[in-house]
Amino acid sequence: MAILEAKNIHKRFGGTEVLKGVSFSLDRGKSLAMIGSSGSGKTTLLRCLNFLEKPDEGVIKVNGETLFDAADPSTHTESDVRRKRLHFGLVFQQFNLFPQYTALGNVTLAPELLAKDDPSYGSDKARILARIRDEAKDILAQVGLSEKMDSYPHQLSGGQQQRVAIARALAMKPDILCFDEPTSALDPELSGEVLAAIRRLSERNITMVIATHEMGFAREVASQVIFLSDGAILESGPPEQVLSNPQTERLRSFLNAVL
Amino acid sequence: MGAGLADVTLNLLEGFKLNCIVFAVTLLCSLPLGLGLAFCSMSKYRAVRAVSKTFVWIVRGTPLLLQIIVVFYVPSLVFNVSSLGRPDAAIVAFVINYTAYFSEVYRGGIESISKGQYEAGQVLGMTKGQVFFKVILLQVVKRIMPPMSNEIITLVKDTALMRVIANKEIIMFAQEYISGQGLIWPLFYSGVFYLAFCGGLTLLFGAVERRLSYFRA
Ligand SMILES: Nc1ncnc2c1ncn2[C@@H]1O[C@H](COP(=O)(O)OP(=O)(O)OP(=O)(O)O)[C@@H](O)[C@H]1O
Ligand SMILES: [Mg+2]
Repeated sequence: MAILEAKNIHKRFGGTEVLKGVSFSLDRGKSLAMIGSSGSGKTTLLRCLNFLEKPDEGVIKVNGETLFDAADPSTHTESDVRRKRLHFGLVFQQFNLFPQYTALGNVTLAPELLAKDDPSYGSDKARILARIRDEAKDILAQVGLSEKMDSYPHQLSGGQQQRVAIARALAMKPDILCFDEPTSALDPELSGEVLAAIRRLSERNITMVIATHEMGFAREVASQVIFLSDGAILESGPPEQVLSNPQTERLRSFLNAVL
Repeated sequence: MGAGLADVTLNLLEGFKLNCIVFAVTLLCSLPLGLGLAFCSMSKYRAVRAVSKTFVWIVRGTPLLLQIIVVFYVPSLVFNVSSLGRPDAAIVAFVINYTAYFSEVYRGGIESISKGQYEAGQVLGMTKGQVFFKVILLQVVKRIMPPMSNEIITLVKDTALMRVIANKEIIMFAQEYISGQGLIWPLFYSGVFYLAFCGGLTLLFGAVERRLSYFRA
């Protein structure tokens, strides 16, 4: 069953329509790779899923629950959005780590704040915080950063920073983890370690939506690829089909340019 | 018959006490008020932005000296209500003036933080308040330390202006030695008080900046 359904997403900035009716669905435990040239709308689509932009039209459903419906204003209220966006996690191109917290602090901050909403927080604070810390250490170990837990972001390489950002997103246990070109701010020799970390997540059947320019990686990790062009999905399907047997001239020339 | 050092010291201290009180109360009020005004200047409501920007423009565009005089005289002469005491009027004028200056320092600091920091907090499910207090504020504090230190040191010296409404601050005491006894050295001595006070503040700000040097923002 589809864990994520996006239907007919439209987004306009001023007069220009950046997303022109994007629809796709994704099964639990699968990964979707989003490819497309600069300006095609990949970031905008990911931002819509994470409620950083409000689509002008369209519906977003997770596990069959309608999280957002442009036609139904009752799905747009501020406090609701905060709860709903926890279904999604987002790893940014520029990492956006919090500079004043250690790697571990970056991972525990949001879970700690969220735990305060828990009715048993008052009586059980020490145990809850200890559990959050242990989980965060586990997650950092999974991305290969056990040694760097107490380092501040400026003391880490770009690849390590991005892996902290991945750990930080994972700690919120999102249903769907989104990546916006997670390696394009990195030197080639550092992107390998980040891609490896994401690959391990796909082996653990974490549901992911990944905007990427790394075609080899998309082929390996994704069960589905969509090609965005000018705000619309021009082609979609399994990677072997989309990447090896492009049907449109646009996709053919895009693939030739990036390979 | 000259005045002894101990004598002069006690006298000048008496005056400097007033400078210190005005300094402390102004800081205590203007630091939080300035933050509030900074938020108003960045409000999503145009009217709120317009009002606070006009306020800042007027306060920064006119002499502090004039503001002190206005605060002291205008209530009684124009509105016919009893005027504030002399020190109180000075404090009110300083608070108004420094709230405007501090708000601009805060605004500069807050606007320099990248949008990505807010968005990273938001997508992790933090409330706007949590993002501000847990993520943004300390980065802002670190960034505004140098300009804020400047403003605060200027405030120390600006307290001398309150004598324009006959507040007996330290330089006024020192000057009485010139007119009364033809003694010039107490005037220089009063400068030493300012120097020492600003020196202490400089050390304090340096220590705060070192405390915040563990991260880069
Ligand atoms: N806040 C905004 N205001 C106005 N236009 C915007 C805004 N955000 C994005 N756009 C425009 O929307 C279009 C799609 O941008 P988007 O960032 O989604 O593309 P992208 O596929 O992520 O590109 P890239 O590969 O360069 O990251 C671009 O033409 C961009 O200029
Ligand atoms: Mg982008």
